[in-house]
Amino acid sequence: MNEWIATLRNGLMLENPLMRLMIGLCATLAVSTQVESSFYMGLAVIFVLLAGNLIISSFRGVIPDQVRIPVFIVVIASFVTVVDLTMKAYLPAVYAVLGIWIPLIVVNCLILGRAEAFAYRNPVGLSIADGLGMGLGFLIVIVGLAFFRELFGTGSLAWTGEPVVSLPEGYPAPAILVLFPGGFLTFGFLMAAFNALDIWREKRKEAGE
Amino acid sequence: MNTGVYLALLFVGAALVNNILLTRFIGLCPFFGVSNDFQTSVGMSLAVAFVMTMATAATWFFWNFVLVPLGVGEFLYIPAFILVIASLVQFMEMFLRRYVPGLYRSMGIYLPLITTNCAVFATATEAVKPGFFKMNLPYAFGFGEAIVYALGVSAGFALALLTFSALRERLELAPVPRVFKGNAIAFITAGLLSLGYVGMAGWFGL
Repeated sequence: MNEWIATLRNGLMLENPLMRLMIGLCATLAVSTQVESSFYMGLAVIFVLLAGNLIISSFRGVIPDQVRIPVFIVVIASFVTVVDLTMKAYLPAVYAVLGIWIPLIVVNCLILGRAEAFAYRNPVGLSIADGLGMGLGFLIVIVGLAFFRELFGTGSLAWTGEPVVSLPEGYPAPAILVLFPGGFLTFGFLMAAFNALDIWREKRKEAGE
Repeated sequence: MNTGVYLALLFVGAALVNNILLTRFIGLCPFFGVSNDFQTSVGMSLAVAFVMTMATAATWFFWNFVLVPLGVGEFLYIPAFILVIASLVQFMEMFLRRYVPGLYRSMGIYLPLITTNCAVFATATEAVKPGFFKMNLPYAFGFGEAIVYALGVSAGFALALLTFSALRERLELAPVPRVFKGNAIAFITAGLLSLGYVGMAGWFGL
């Protein structure tokens, strides 16, 4: 059980896919202009990661080593198709925003990377923890990024078209944050903040010794 | 509008106005992964241009002559396209190694990496399957348009990757604050670079 929690925490913090492993970046930067679509993107990634890890890990003894990558891709592609069609049917407004990013989950390095690096080598229980941890780590970062970009870039946060939180009237919203350079810039500063946290931790450790 | 002008606009639109790396964030892994080294970036750009054009051609035929006639395009396109692209890359790798060793040496090692590169899959899907293209055309591309589009996208990819890697080589020597070292400053640089592309947003009504 401890191992299970450790794996889960690993994905959330220590090896956060976006901040630490630097995988699955494309979707993050592109989608994080809106909290709502980011949230659904995160859910889609969690679903595909969990289902893919579950299947790949349960069949890991059967899949021949030489053809494992095509097998992973087919498994992942099937689950992405499930998400693609479900979202198109039940969340057409979100699907219109996400568009090409939903089929692109299939080539997202995060999913294939975890299948290869974790699910193929570990038992089912741990693989589920890894999928959940990595997926939640992805969701938290992408929604956080979107929260910052949408709130300060447009002056309000919207959910299903209705503004939920608004900054005071007259706030000069810098549209650059929701345009594409904002994605790179915000992520760069977020990464610098993570580095600063690391440096601070190291210093504290040294002081403790 | 005559066809030549239309195709030229499509090319410029795909390369500059909707630059795949800097304005659409597709294919960022090689953008940050190989841009440390200019020489590597040249090989990567070549390989991507090659694979992207071939993959678009292959998926175009597969979509129009296999998936659509069978009526399974809507729910089989993801696995079908990715498998077509993967086997194409595998085949090309073997072909180049055997018959064009010079080309293989300059871009061969990048070929397997490109199989799961989102840029190739995205370009092929957008050019081939109706309903995804950013310019919101109600129809899918004809074969000629699809190829021009893929060429335009790969030209944009090469342009962005090469400028960025040239910048990054100089960045190695620049004094950077400790917390921004490594990837953080690379992202900021990319942000400033992409700022230049904002100026082109909306050209030709694209």
